[in-house]
Amino acid sequence: MTRYRTVDLLVTVLIGAAFGVAFLGYGQLYTLIGPLTAAFKPAEGLLAGLWFLPAMLAGLIVRKPGAALLAELIAAVMSMLLGSQWGWGTAVSGLMQGGGVELAFLLTRYRRFTLPVAVLGGVLAALLEWGWEKLAYYQEMSWAFSGTMLAFFLLSGALLCGVLGWAATRALVATGAVDSLAAGREHSRAAAV
Amino acid sequence: MERLRWRPLSRREPTIDGLDLEIPSGQRVLLAGASGSGKSTVLRALAGLLDPEDGEGEGLLPAPARPGERGLLLQNPVHALVGATIGRDAAFGPENAALPRPALHEHSSRALAAARVDLDPARAPLDASGGQQQRIALAGSLALDPELLLLDEPTSMLDAPTAEQVRTAILDAAGEATLVIAEHRIEPWLPHADRLIVLGPQARILADGTPGEVLAQQRETLVRAGVLEERAVGAPDTAGTTSTRATSADGKIVAALRGVTVPDRGLTAPQELEVRAGRLTVLTGPSGAGKTTLLRLLTGSRTPEHGEVERPAPDRIALVPQDPEHSFVAATVREELRASPWASDEALAEQLLERAGLAHLAGAHPHRLSGGEQRRLAIAAALAQRPALLVLDEPTVGLDARRRREVLDLLREARDRGCAVLAASHDELLVAAADDQHALPAPRPDAAATPAPRRIPADALNPLTLCLIGILAAIGSFAVQSWQGGLLALAPTALLAPLAVRSLPGAALRLAPILLSAAGLAWTTALLGDAPALSAQAWLVGLKEAARITAFVAPGVLALGAVRPTPLGDALAQRLHLPGRPVAASVAALVRVSHLGRQWSTIVETRTRRGLGGARSPRLLAGATLALLVDTLRGAEQQALAMDSRGFATATRRTWAEPSPVGPADLAGIAIAAGLLIWPLLAELLVGAA
Repeated sequence: MTRYRTVDLLVTVLIGAAFGVAFLGYGQLYTLIGPLTAAFKPAEGLLAGLWFLPAMLAGLIVRKPGAALLAELIAAVMSMLLGSQWGWGTAVSGLMQGGGVELAFLLTRYRRFTLPVAVLGGVLAALLEWGWEKLAYYQEMSWAFSGTMLAFFLLSGALLCGVLGWAATRALVATGAVDSLAAGREHSRAAAV
Repeated sequence: MERLRWRPLSRREPTIDGLDLEIPSGQRVLLAGASGSGKSTVLRALAGLLDPEDGEGEGLLPAPARPGERGLLLQNPVHALVGATIGRDAAFGPENAALPRPALHEHSSRALAAARVDLDPARAPLDASGGQQQRIALAGSLALDPELLLLDEPTSMLDAPTAEQVRTAILDAAGEATLVIAEHRIEPWLPHADRLIVLGPQARILADGTPGEVLAQQRETLVRAGVLEERAVGAPDTAGTTSTRATSADGKIVAALRGVTVPDRGLTAPQELEVRAGRLTVLTGPSGAGKTTLLRLLTGSRTPEHGEVERPAPDRIALVPQDPEHSFVAATVREELRASPWASDEALAEQLLERAGLAHLAGAHPHRLSGGEQRRLAIAAALAQRPALLVLDEPTVGLDARRRREVLDLLREARDRGCAVLAASHDELLVAAADDQHALPAPRPDAAATPAPRRIPADALNPLTLCLIGILAAIGSFAVQSWQGGLLALAPTALLAPLAVRSLPGAALRLAPILLSAAGLAWTTALLGDAPALSAQAWLVGLKEAARITAFVAPGVLALGAVRPTPLGDALAQRLHLPGRPVAASVAALVRVSHLGRQWSTIVETRTRRGLGGARSPRLLAGATLALLVDTLRGAEQQALAMDSRGFATATRRTWAEPSPVGPADLAGIAIAAGLLIWPLLAELLVGAA
């Protein structure tokens, strides 16, 4: 179960790389909520969950220890090399987000890959990432607003990372693109027998 | 191989059902069969790469004893390329075999010469043309002196002259090695093969013998298997040439290019093109000539440098990308036909479903269709939008004879409905059937040459030193307590910045987002801090935060500008001794950024063209992400195969083609890193509010 075949390794790192590229396109989303976040920064937490998706998808698809963390780190490193304005903060974010999702799968000893586990992963990632951002970026934000931000982070982690990531994995399984991986195999067995 | 059986977990029926095959050493075998006959699976079995975790098998061959003993070349070279440069790509196999550096370089340069790769080894393989890419991939599989070379439709994505060059390179380079070539277009290979094996469904052998015998005695079988066409092989389709088709010569001009050039994409000669209703126009030209750019001009995704473009309104233009999966959005074939808001006619959709031969698959998942079915679905979905102009990029590439004909029939259908059809293609079948042809001239060979980037002092540092500078500076920045201290803390960064800046525009591009974010943070802090909102005191706290965050990120961002994935991987593996396989795989993923970027733009563009929303639509972005993942994950499977055939599966102790040098410059770098760590604290002691 823990042995990484070449395909497992590649799927993990390529999920990270693909999101590294897709994230450039997501920048557009921030312009949508721009007016809101200019007046009320904590609202940016509403989109936070999107950034944890590489970890969630790699965890749910590859189902091996370390996959979630590695995919998120690759996405972070790619952002950094492309010139992300948060510099090394991005790497720590990758560690927090990937680590949070990883932790949820670790708690089930990599046996359960269900919607509740995915939501838990999103929530843990949100919690850790919020902690890091509070420390590094929002030291001077008052605790009332920081608390509001945490609420937005947790909501976003649960929905945009947990629920959306789980749904995206199911959609990918349906396309047949992951037939040779753990997530697809479960589906194949059900369909082929 | 004896009694080989293989059933992938995802299938109910085996893809290989009891295959006996014996190939004597040195034989050149042509393995023919229509798409879906199991040729690729047989090649994987011969390579020893069928993974027992993926299915049920009997009689499987063991994995090769020596890394790279059995080379494998895939249909799409994009999946075989792993290196940031051509030289590193060729060295991948020898690295996996843990060859010492001198032997490693000898192997890779010999392989590049044998595969006739005549490009600068410092160039990026993923930016080379299709024919060049396939030769680079060939070099990759030759680098470990394979005794058996397995080729999976290696020329099916190339135009005829390029395919010929690649074929010659393969045959010359193979030397004494045993060769197994899987192909559905067999005739160009026939003179070079000792043996022709024709596979039917489930890889059952329909014919086996010398090419001469099989062709003479079993022509019928070959035609039925879809390997030969009923007409004489290679004869052009006589359905119509430009002069004989008088019916629609007066078709209305639907789109036109007038004196158009796009010099940075190879379109230097002014282009004149009229695309008329009810006519099939084929756009030809060697790779790199700018076919795709010309299509993008007509769909409105690009503007020309000079000249004028006429085109219909956006909702009357339909685009079918080269990879049909890039356009799919729905969970069933029927929904796919009506996914575009411009495809409102239900009766038309049903009719097109019938015409495309997909009626029996109406409930199937688009992504699970075969390659030929996917092409037809994408075309039918485009036609459901009732376009005035239908634009297609290589609509038959990689398909076998029968599937190409089916696609052509659908294009004829579109034309007869009065649609102006424009297809970029090198398929002689399409060219022969076209009403009009527009040929682009070959690009000038030196058009792609890019000047080497200016060397800067930061380039002299090991990537790890550059990382250390960023990390220690980030840690040091936490000492900032006041706005005075914060501003002083930034001084060394400002002084040292020129050492890491390649060009002023580049530096602006990297620094502007930082300053913008810092300004944003100042505003947020002034607004939402503990001090009264937007008071003078709140603004000073904001200024402190802006200075602190700049001191946190700016040194790292500047230093990272000189970090490249490949040297970073070399350093992580050789200096920090991180495990080789994950490092090598991560580098292979990171060097694909420009390739992934191109896929992403095609996907977004295709969907925008279907009327599914703009680049800011969350739904479009979600769908595009999923499509990019499907593309990436399918590619990952092929890539894993290509890498394992180059010895990656067992490469836990691999060598690295380039060292990761640490020199005197790094001492200076470490001193800078230490300085940036403590300077903010000193600055605070010097000028901070006591």
